[in-house]
Amino acid sequence: MVDKVKVKERESTLEELREVNDDLRLPSVPEKVSFPIDVVTPEARTQTPAVGQRASRPDGRMHGLGQTKYIDDMSFPGMIYAKIKRAGVAKARIKKIDLSEAEKMPGVMATLIGSEIPVNSFGPSYQDQPIIADKLIYHAGDPVAAVAATTEQLAADALEKIKIEYEQLEPIFDPIEAMKESAPEVHPGQGNIYSSKIIQKGDVDKGFKDSYRTYENTFSTQMVEHVPMEPHASIAEWDANGRVIIHSSLGRITLGRADIARTLDMPINRIRVVATVVGGNFGGKNEITTEPILALLSRKTGRPVKGIYTREDEFMSSTTRHPFIMDYKTGVSEEGKIISRKVRLVCDGGAYCSWSETTLGKACILSAGPYNIENLYVEAYAVYTNKTMTGAMRGFGAPQVCFAYESHMDDIARDLDIDPLQIRRINAFHEGSASPTGQVLQSVVVKDSLDVAADRFGWEEWQK
Amino acid sequence: MIRKGKGIGCMWYPIGFTVAANPSAATVKVNEDGTATLLTGTVETGQGSLTVLGQIAAEELGISTEDVHVVSADTDATPMDTGAIASRTTYVTGNAIKLAAEKAKEILFEVAAPMLNVKPSQLEAADRKVQVKGFPQRFLPIDEVALQAQFVQGQPPIGSASYNPPTVDMDPETGQGKPFSTYVYATQIAEVEVDDETGDVNVTYMAAAHDCGTAINPMLVEGQIQGGISMGIGFALQEEMLFDEKGVQINPNLTNYIMPTSLDMPDIDVDIVENFDPTGPFGAKGVGEPTAVPTAAAICNAIYDAVGVRITSLPATAEKVLALIKEKNEKDIKQLSPAE
Repeated sequence: MVDKVKVKERESTLEELREVNDDLRLPSVPEKVSFPIDVVTPEARTQTPAVGQRASRPDGRMHGLGQTKYIDDMSFPGMIYAKIKRAGVAKARIKKIDLSEAEKMPGVMATLIGSEIPVNSFGPSYQDQPIIADKLIYHAGDPVAAVAATTEQLAADALEKIKIEYEQLEPIFDPIEAMKESAPEVHPGQGNIYSSKIIQKGDVDKGFKDSYRTYENTFSTQMVEHVPMEPHASIAEWDANGRVIIHSSLGRITLGRADIARTLDMPINRIRVVATVVGGNFGGKNEITTEPILALLSRKTGRPVKGIYTREDEFMSSTTRHPFIMDYKTGVSEEGKIISRKVRLVCDGGAYCSWSETTLGKACILSAGPYNIENLYVEAYAVYTNKTMTGAMRGFGAPQVCFAYESHMDDIARDLDIDPLQIRRINAFHEGSASPTGQVLQSVVVKDSLDVAADRFGWEEWQK
Repeated sequence: MIRKGKGIGCMWYPIGFTVAANPSAATVKVNEDGTATLLTGTVETGQGSLTVLGQIAAEELGISTEDVHVVSADTDATPMDTGAIASRTTYVTGNAIKLAAEKAKEILFEVAAPMLNVKPSQLEAADRKVQVKGFPQRFLPIDEVALQAQFVQGQPPIGSASYNPPTVDMDPETGQGKPFSTYVYATQIAEVEVDDETGDVNVTYMAAAHDCGTAINPMLVEGQIQGGISMGIGFALQEEMLFDEKGVQINPNLTNYIMPTSLDMPDIDVDIVENFDPTGPFGAKGVGEPTAVPTAAAICNAIYDAVGVRITSLPATAEKVLALIKEKNEKDIKQLSPAE
């Protein structure tokens, strides 16, 4: 009985507190939140068969309530913060890095430069990218040093105290210029064209001769960023057995772990990579970025180290979508059937290869469009320039070539006075079509997709 | 004056890596109450992949999505996966999960067969039951079978499997080969309004018809398509990283790098084109990347239809569109003037 009274008393006090008394200006007490909140399971999740159901996502409720824990929401005892100094020059030789002023600052616990990284290179196709630039700067967003401090602000302030002397070198930014023999080399001794692809099918020259008309145009696209809502983020922490745990926003943890092991020169089984729910990837989080830096800063200090990219870091030093320059020449019959096509693709590969090799390959194969073309010749080049590196991004070169082949298609249709929908129907792949690489295609529904979209849009009835 | 136009963008896109191996492995454990736990090394990057993968495991085991808990993305606990890249998760990881679930199911069938007095090959899993094919009245609840398997037969129903899409090397001189296991196809049609006095382009409507094989979860497919279109609009009209003459980016912030917001989004109608790919899990392929592919093409073709100018370099900013309109008008006037 006594207990009950006590509880009652306390409840009434809380109730009073909750009512804001203007005279006393008592703080209001927030609503009590208890977990787990009763979860209403939508029917689509409980039904069988499961395939085809509009089942809601288990993380949807967390997102809705703002309860999802991203890396930046995570904290560990004693955790410190890392920031990265960017070069700010597009091409240079590092003459001297003076960290003394930064290291003297109270709160700064460790610094790191490229020469301290056991294996200072990485990359999915070619290992041409340093974790921290140690000799040469290849683009303005290159990291040159890292600082770990007790607060983010202190770490950012310490970056200002780092003094770096550069010997400026001649940069090159235009991919077409960079292809010339006389162009300065981005990676000395390597040549600027670092990947090329060819697809050849039939005889294009004969095809052009047999064509009713031929059309030519050049298309180009720009560099864009993924802009995920959550920037690149990681936390590294060592345990007493010499294992490092890395919480990361990586989208490919298995291969990321292998890259981290290589750069740290450690056995793979001593590294644990844990990914959280990633706040947007779009291809930009397919490679390691700061993970080895944070791991080394954590080993130096014995503290968990968190590193979150600023939006500026995200733009300047993460991968981007490749700018393409695309030359198209197409020969068609009087009825609008494509007889022959020649394509030349130049992809501005930025300072490092990253996923350019793959992007170039996919763009090359896809550049003919979803159309039956008997005579096809595609040549494609990836070129180094002293710009932010380009890499994986939703579509791997496909949005670029699609913009070109579809714009080109409409130009042809207009000139021949054929409806744009019709010219695509005439040329579209069908079940069993051979792709530009000679692959027999299955489950092909190009025409169906054209018809469904045209019906939905009301293509025939539509009026200006 | 506001001028309206319509334009088509049609595309094809492959699933998985170009020739290179990109395997996924998975483990499916059926618990003693008939629920299941799925271990996968892929990462949820916001697209809802874990939900789809759970649905694939559930379908194979004849249980519901709610009965499957997905554990993902911890290199100490989950098996190898090439990751959330190349629109491969539903197809490649999905196939691995289907195979792993099949192995766990085989153990359930072995245990259930003598209980039902039939051969394991005569059994199927559906509606949380292990039942006789063609005679569904003869069944056992899956929890009963799972409990029997684990605690009586001592055979916990666990399955692990991996999948790698079959490819054929490309010839280095002609590029001939089979670089991908399968492809998806799509068409987007845009309606735009172009102000011919300012060059401003407003996308007012998009019809998007996408093939993804079987849509494991139509709602998530629609979400992907809507997201892809927003990315495509940015690529078509607004976004561009700009550098000064020294190679330093001049707009590394969201004030000067303009992205589409919800207010820039047109009305979108999404259609999922009916299809079934025999090599995919339950006929599924993928949908992630292709959604962002044909949007810019459709928009630029619609601009051409509206004002008769061909955009050859992206993005089609108002400045660029207006300059092209002016150029065209001058040319048209010249053509009207009498020949000398």
